[in-house]
Amino acid sequence: MIRLDALSVDFDERFQLHDIKWTLRPGEHWLITGANGSGKSALAAVLAGDGDRLSGTLEGVPERVALVSYERQADLIAAERRKDDADILDVMSEGTPVAEILGDGCEDLDLARNLVDTLGARPLMNRAFRKLSTGETRKVMLIRALTSRADLLVLDEPFDGLDHDSLIWLQGHLCELAETTPMVIVLNRFDECPDFVTHVAYVDDGRLPLCVERGDEQAYAELYQLLHLKTSDLEIPAADPAAQLPALDPDKPLVQLTGATVRYADNTVFEGLDWTIEPNQSWQLSGPNGSGKTCLLQLITGDHPQCYVNDINIFGYQRGTGESIWEIKQFIGYVSTALQWEYTVSTGLRNVIISGFYDSIGLYTKSTDAEKTIADEWLALLGISDRAEEPFNRLSFGDQRLVLIARAMVKHPPLLILDEPCLGLDDMNRQLVLALVERICLGSETSVLYVNHREQDRVAGIDNHLTLSDNTGA
Amino acid sequence: MANYFNTLPLRAQLAELGKCRFMHLNEFSDGVEALRGKKMVVIGCGAQGLNQGLNLRDSGLDVSYALRDEAIAQQRQSWKNATENGFTVGTYEELLPTADVVLNLTPDKQHTNVVETIMPMMKHGACLSYSHGFNIVEEGMQVRDDITVIMVAPKCPGSEVRAEYVRGFGVPTLIAVHEDNDPNGVGLALAKAYAVGTGGHKAGVLMSSFIAEVKSDLMGEQTILCGMLQTGSLLCFDKMVDEGIDAAYASKLIQYGWETITEALKYGGVTNMMDRLANPAKIRAFELSEELKDIMRDLYNKHQDDIMTGAFSSGMMADWANDDAKLLGWRADTAETPFEKTPASDMEIAEQEYFDNGILMVAMVKAGVELAFETMTAAGIIAESAYYESLHETPLIANTIARKKLYEMNATISDTAEYGCYLYNHACVPLLADFMTGITSDMIGKGLDIADTGVDNAHLIEVNEAIRSHPVETIGSVLRGHMADMKRIV
Repeated sequence: MIRLDALSVDFDERFQLHDIKWTLRPGEHWLITGANGSGKSALAAVLAGDGDRLSGTLEGVPERVALVSYERQADLIAAERRKDDADILDVMSEGTPVAEILGDGCEDLDLARNLVDTLGARPLMNRAFRKLSTGETRKVMLIRALTSRADLLVLDEPFDGLDHDSLIWLQGHLCELAETTPMVIVLNRFDECPDFVTHVAYVDDGRLPLCVERGDEQAYAELYQLLHLKTSDLEIPAADPAAQLPALDPDKPLVQLTGATVRYADNTVFEGLDWTIEPNQSWQLSGPNGSGKTCLLQLITGDHPQCYVNDINIFGYQRGTGESIWEIKQFIGYVSTALQWEYTVSTGLRNVIISGFYDSIGLYTKSTDAEKTIADEWLALLGISDRAEEPFNRLSFGDQRLVLIARAMVKHPPLLILDEPCLGLDDMNRQLVLALVERICLGSETSVLYVNHREQDRVAGIDNHLTLSDNTGA
Repeated sequence: MANYFNTLPLRAQLAELGKCRFMHLNEFSDGVEALRGKKMVVIGCGAQGLNQGLNLRDSGLDVSYALRDEAIAQQRQSWKNATENGFTVGTYEELLPTADVVLNLTPDKQHTNVVETIMPMMKHGACLSYSHGFNIVEEGMQVRDDITVIMVAPKCPGSEVRAEYVRGFGVPTLIAVHEDNDPNGVGLALAKAYAVGTGGHKAGVLMSSFIAEVKSDLMGEQTILCGMLQTGSLLCFDKMVDEGIDAAYASKLIQYGWETITEALKYGGVTNMMDRLANPAKIRAFELSEELKDIMRDLYNKHQDDIMTGAFSSGMMADWANDDAKLLGWRADTAETPFEKTPASDMEIAEQEYFDNGILMVAMVKAGVELAFETMTAAGIIAESAYYESLHETPLIANTIARKKLYEMNATISDTAEYGCYLYNHACVPLLADFMTGITSDMIGKGLDIADTGVDNAHLIEVNEAIRSHPVETIGSVLRGHMADMKRIV
């Protein structure tokens, strides 16, 4: 039996859990839920030994606890980056290969092999861990945890970023594992709560006000409602009249890719892809992990070096004819998990939103009063006006996402690219984001390019679909 | 070829050494225009070559890579780097005759060979760019009269040059024009456009000279950057072991201590680094550093003198000609030192503990930074240059020690820095022998064992004043101010 009694825990002085009373009995499997920034991940991480105990007691936690979470994922990627020899001097380095990351701490080689094949991770084995896509990194973290023969499995958003097939399989596998291993799962989405979960813990503002038995239908329904609180009166702040973007020819496509191909020495990600995005036309892009969704987007944003060897006409520029990426980026708003990981600045939220006017990570120019006003309007829309000066890197993962969406939209770009914008968000904020995206789609000035692979995150108003097929051979 | 610096009259030497000016952002209002439509060909596709090329291309410039025939035929790493990133790759013969600007981003040691090979192929009136002036200044390379010779040197590793550009920023960059090779008077315009193309203008550009860059760069790297950290590592480790401190702990305290201590230096100069110590420890570190500076001053002067006369570079070039016999021998010796052979403990050391238990290390960094700065400025090098080549770059080397310890640090820095580092170390270790006998574990390893952290007000004020009024702090706060917007966690 694991027992937390009057436990208060501090996380690097940026977040605290207060007075947690919680008992996990043998045979129980828990779901932890709550709004973004409420402390779900923190509570889960406490079971894995994270945080500094301020008072109270924590008893009965088994010695071997496996934790999968965005924070751990980010730590590992950060550790890989620190190892990068390229930082030292004139040496290129590839980083630790996936096979080595998986081998570290693995207690069940047969299972590991099985998981690698089932999750289609075989082609990743020799690649550098830090070069994987978000979904691929997640798979590697999961395989590591599942093969560690832990006595307690703590999974923080285990289904996020997985494609449909991997998700179904994992849910099945966890069901089997639940027979022998106690589990604590953090989920923002109630509708994905696995059947074996027996109890739900609801976290709010660093406290644990509610513990609900799955069998208690009424309490369960109320909790569901609580998380579904809808926000109303959504108004998108206007663009800055002083910072008009150059006019685009309304009769020309925004983006035209002809025969687009991305190829590495040993791997063709996709080839011969034709795609035209007309003004005021929104698209949904889907495809399994590793099918090249992000590569395709990067060809458009100019972040993929092979955009120079492809036939890309974008915002009136033929790529590779002397235009700078800043001339391209000025027309694009962009949000992705990768951007969030890159956005490691301690600057305040207002400045993060203002940085959208400059397409920069961090703010390197003095901002105008008009820009500040617009940023404050966005903060109000997100319900975090009182946190304008708070450092971005102290926000919860979900709140960071909302701020980055505001940053992307702040200049009302002709093209808004949302690469899995709901990844890691809770129900309430997910509804908010989706409503926001719908609103943007209905307006006439911004074309939305929306990437996801989850049925329930469809957005009304997006009627064009492009699906990339699997190329990993998995 | 003769040492170029030594061919100049004293007044010209002093004028060149004194060149270094922080340029105003509005001096870059022409952007990359001077290079637009020009064919830029990079030689050397390592981290600097590749990442600078990526930035220049993203700024709208025409960049391709010239590789040696064998690198292309064998599809070596340099070939892969360039082709996977979608660059045009060709042989010297294919690309150089039509190049408007040739970017020589190969290691120093190859410069003579590379430049002699490419010069006959370059078209009349083209531009040759360096990122380090050793070849011109110390080796006296004579470049064809019609060719413009410039230098553009980002003061960060290649990966950071790229990462900062992608963020919408850049890294501090030094530019220079070789006055003897500026036949059309376009050198400065080209260098400025190049700095804009890599994003450097946003983080601050120093207008310097080939001579000031070489003479300050050599001095910084062999004394405070690599030499002092190497000597400090060896002495501190042996002392701790003598004092009965667990060797694995000592190894860790040193390996990661330099990085932690100099991180404080990077953010707030010597003042902030010293402020991380409790008052009694700060006073102790101050006293130690004063003592160290008195002992080492002559050594720093000797290094600067040898750099100025060319004795250093001719000694090193003799070793190049002798298949690096000395360098490789010294490198092998480094691998055999007790510090190098003792793996770091896996116990956790809190960030503050590196300061508290590393008082001597803090003192060594302070003494080294200040001495290098003082020696450089006394030799006619301007404060801006001296700051970048001492304080600014120390955290970069500390960072390599944290990852790789000394042997690999030496193997990854330039051969020039490594050679100078060993020279310094061989002189400095015996020089500090007496001083080290007076050191006990409260200054390195355990921290001060005092219950009362009280200090005398007057004495503390005096010490703080001495720390804060040092000229490296004055120029440092100005230059760091230019980069204040770089606030971020790394």
